Amino acid sequence: MRLIIGGAYQGKLTYAKETYHITDGWVDGRICSREELSSCRGVHHFHEYIRRMAASEKQSAVLTDLERQADEFAHMLVKENPEIVVVSNELGYGIVPVEKTDRLWRELTGRICTCLAAKADEVVRVVCGIGIKIK
Amino acid sequence: MFQVITGGSGSGKSEYAENLVLSAGEGERIYVATMIPYGEEGRQRVERHRKLRAQKRFRTVECYTGLAELSFPQNGIVLLECVSNLTANEMYETNGAHEQTVEAILRGIDSLRAQVKHLFVVTNEVFSDGITYDEEMMRYIAYLGAINCALAQRADRVTEVVCGIPVKVKDGK
Repeated sequence: MRLIIGGAYQGKLTYAKETYHITDGWVDGRICSREELSSCRGVHHFHEYIRRMAASEKQSAVLTDLERQADEFAHMLVKENPEIVVVSNELGYGIVPVEKTDRLWRELTGRICTCLAAKADEVVRVVCGIGIKIK
Repeated sequence: MFQVITGGSGSGKSEYAENLVLSAGEGERIYVATMIPYGEEGRQRVERHRKLRAQKRFRTVECYTGLAELSFPQNGIVLLECVSNLTANEMYETNGAHEQTVEAILRGIDSLRAQVKHLFVVTNEVFSDGITYDEEMMRYIAYLGAINCALAQRADRVTEVVCGIPVKVKDGK
């Protein structure tokens, strides 16, 4: 499992496609289903998948429970699709959002990516199109 | 040793910083809590951090403003979390430093640093969402940026935590 993170519009997907020679088999986190996540070769806009997931799960309103949720989700994903390449925006680098749902989404994305990073074979952060391997 | 730990929200900074304290050797572990638990979400946030720290034998000292007034033991291994809260408190609380926020916080950290054995300070990266906020919020961002730069200058080590992974920013003076 490989995790590619970075800010928006940094060339993360291009980097992943080129580096891992994966041209097809990608799904888009904005529209893909849970099932597609377990069978795809890679997912991009992964943070948008988490946004949809957080919106559909009312229990995500409980902050103290976020860690457990994040850990369970990351664990399932890696178990179902151990070779997946996950491409996600880093969301935590701004001012705390005014909307509670945005705050929870941002936090959940951070926690899930942290759990995935712990399990990943490789973690790359892409800045200006350049990948920096941090694990 | 004075170390600054930075990173985005939800990046695993706290856990990383707590583990640094645990591996810092003998001394009294002190956690300087700076977040005023406003409302239910604030309470939950504080609770989450308390749970993370349980079992790690920290004495908690609450400090919302006026860090420079506090005294700490010489053998203290102190974790202060987080500069972003402290900055907001000094700016907006009635007994805060207001326009002198940057100076007050740096004075506080300098005083703390001079008293204890090891100091670990957690701060926050809030600078990259590209949004122009109102004047008050922009002032907050500017203050926190200035404080972070000044802390990094003083620090022996600066580490950014990315998805739980420590990324070296500065190592050695």
